[in-house]
Amino acid sequence: MTASDPLVEFRSVKKSYGTFEAVKGLDLTIGRGEFVAIMGPSGCGKTTTLRMLAGLEAPTAGTIRIDGREMNDVAVHERDTPLVWQSLALFPFLNVKENVEFGLKMRGIGAQERSDRAMLWLDRMGLKGFETRPIDALSGGQRQRVALARSLVTEPEMLLLDEPLSALDAHLVIRMQGVLTKLQKELGITFVYVTHSQSEAFAMADRVVIMGQGEIAQIGKPQEIFRAPQNRFVAEFVGRNNILSGEVAGGAITIDGVTCPLPGAPDGAAEIVVAADRMTIHADDPGKGALPADFVSEEFAGTGIICYFEGPSGEELKAQVSEAQLAELAPEPGRRFWLSWAPEAAHSLTA
Amino acid sequence: MAKRPSVYPYVWRLPLLIWQGLFFIGPLCLMVAMSFWLVRNYRMEPDFVFKNWDRMLSRGFFWDAYWVTFLRATLAATLASLLAFPASFALAFRTSETVRRWAIFFLIVPFFTSYLVRIYAWQVLLAGNGPLNAILGLVGLGPFTMLSTGFGAMVGYMTLVLPLVVILQTFSLAAIDRNLIEAARNLGANPRATLFQVIIPAAKVGLIIGFIFAFILTFGEFVSPFYLGGSNPPTLSILIVDTTKSGQQWPRAAVVAVIMIVTLFLAAFAAVAAAYRRRS
Repeated sequence: MTASDPLVEFRSVKKSYGTFEAVKGLDLTIGRGEFVAIMGPSGCGKTTTLRMLAGLEAPTAGTIRIDGREMNDVAVHERDTPLVWQSLALFPFLNVKENVEFGLKMRGIGAQERSDRAMLWLDRMGLKGFETRPIDALSGGQRQRVALARSLVTEPEMLLLDEPLSALDAHLVIRMQGVLTKLQKELGITFVYVTHSQSEAFAMADRVVIMGQGEIAQIGKPQEIFRAPQNRFVAEFVGRNNILSGEVAGGAITIDGVTCPLPGAPDGAAEIVVAADRMTIHADDPGKGALPADFVSEEFAGTGIICYFEGPSGEELKAQVSEAQLAELAPEPGRRFWLSWAPEAAHSLTA
Repeated sequence: MAKRPSVYPYVWRLPLLIWQGLFFIGPLCLMVAMSFWLVRNYRMEPDFVFKNWDRMLSRGFFWDAYWVTFLRATLAATLASLLAFPASFALAFRTSETVRRWAIFFLIVPFFTSYLVRIYAWQVLLAGNGPLNAILGLVGLGPFTMLSTGFGAMVGYMTLVLPLVVILQTFSLAAIDRNLIEAARNLGANPRATLFQVIIPAAKVGLIIGFIFAFILTFGEFVSPFYLGGSNPPTLSILIVDTTKSGQQWPRAAVVAVIMIVTLFLAAFAAVAAAYRRRS
């Protein structure tokens, strides 16, 4: 990630469709060899952003640079920004090898070299022996790899991916995540990956861009996004977070009459976020700094169990526990517990 | 409980089967049989002789008419496909859904009037002293002889098939997955390569169906070659009419008709095979 020599630069990029602003002034730099995930709910502008990078949409305002070159007036077919579609968009009237060769053929590369390079990529993607198969005779995972080979055969500097795993079975998603991460490391090229799935973004990306309503809500490493969400939108989108409002005075926050230390925070109204796995559940009132909470339900979440509570003013509170802890607490709906957190686990939201 | 075969679906299929049996298979068999009959004293007599076949197939005028018909139909289908394509392309990719719907509607409107009426209208328009020559005369061109020529016949063929070919092509082009077109551009295909390497292959079935419909309709056409093409050279359909009129030679006309049907079957089979051919 060399900030001085970025591969991609978005400068105040806007995209509107009529009166609807899909992207409202985007500033983003993407480094060479970086794996960036753009994540957000549907309609947040993430796919539009990716399509503008590929040239499939023209920005209404602002500039996009790739490798220092302004791309606004460069036609789609003159760019080298291959995209992997959610539907894969493999050509059904061509066989596997012809699909992979397509980009090379369009660049006027001779038949022999085309064939050699396509075979190399088919081999690399574990598709040797499938070259003459029609596309509809392949499994979902195989098609995925054909789409990757087709995009990478021209050896581009970056690969764009638009929710490529969302149509796959869960077990295949995990496997393809491994394939993609390994591929990106081996090739050392930039991956720009659009998804609405947190687990995909956090599992693969070096940096995650969270978008909401056409704007960037936060950019950071997966852990930063998870541990230090900058605003309510990110905290809610990431989930498994408690968002609490209160009044700060003298380095402590008062929430629903309960005062907890919040060192370094300026006085005034504030919102803090505490991750569910940083919450401690007490069966008895520990005395101070714990919010009374009535148990509502529990949810098995793979890595642990999320317990849901109702706080003093009706807000939803979450705490993550292990199975053993749950058995020990033996909660029943309506039973009163107390939730507390270490001061360093609380994180102030800016907006 | 064993499942009883349901009678219900067969009840609905039966009318079509009866119709096809009575009015297609039946006459077809009769026609094939008739081609082996004899005409004595201007009257047909059932028989089994190869005289009619021998007579027609050994004559130059039959083969002249056959090739004229075949080549004209091929030309008409090619011309209709080429003329229709830019319009279909524009309707499929360059217009809104609303415009496309209205265009399809207006392409159906010509079928409201009898084809014969439209051909009579062309007779007036294409006449030696007709409006078209008058307009061309204003810019110092012509007058051209357009009636009773191959050109005249071709105008009639286009009147018949062009709207249909545009409709078929438009539907097949509009049905192409837009992602495929974007993927082609994304992989470096310029507009021309996108058209020839992706759009045409992806719409192949519809384009071939449009072509073969135009071929079938013009191959058996009688009105255009007769009223606008001047019957000279005669097409197979004109030959059939002439043969039945001269000496009640229905069996010889049946020979021509059987050959036409065989040709159309082969053409249709070839077209469908080409349209659905799998690449290995």
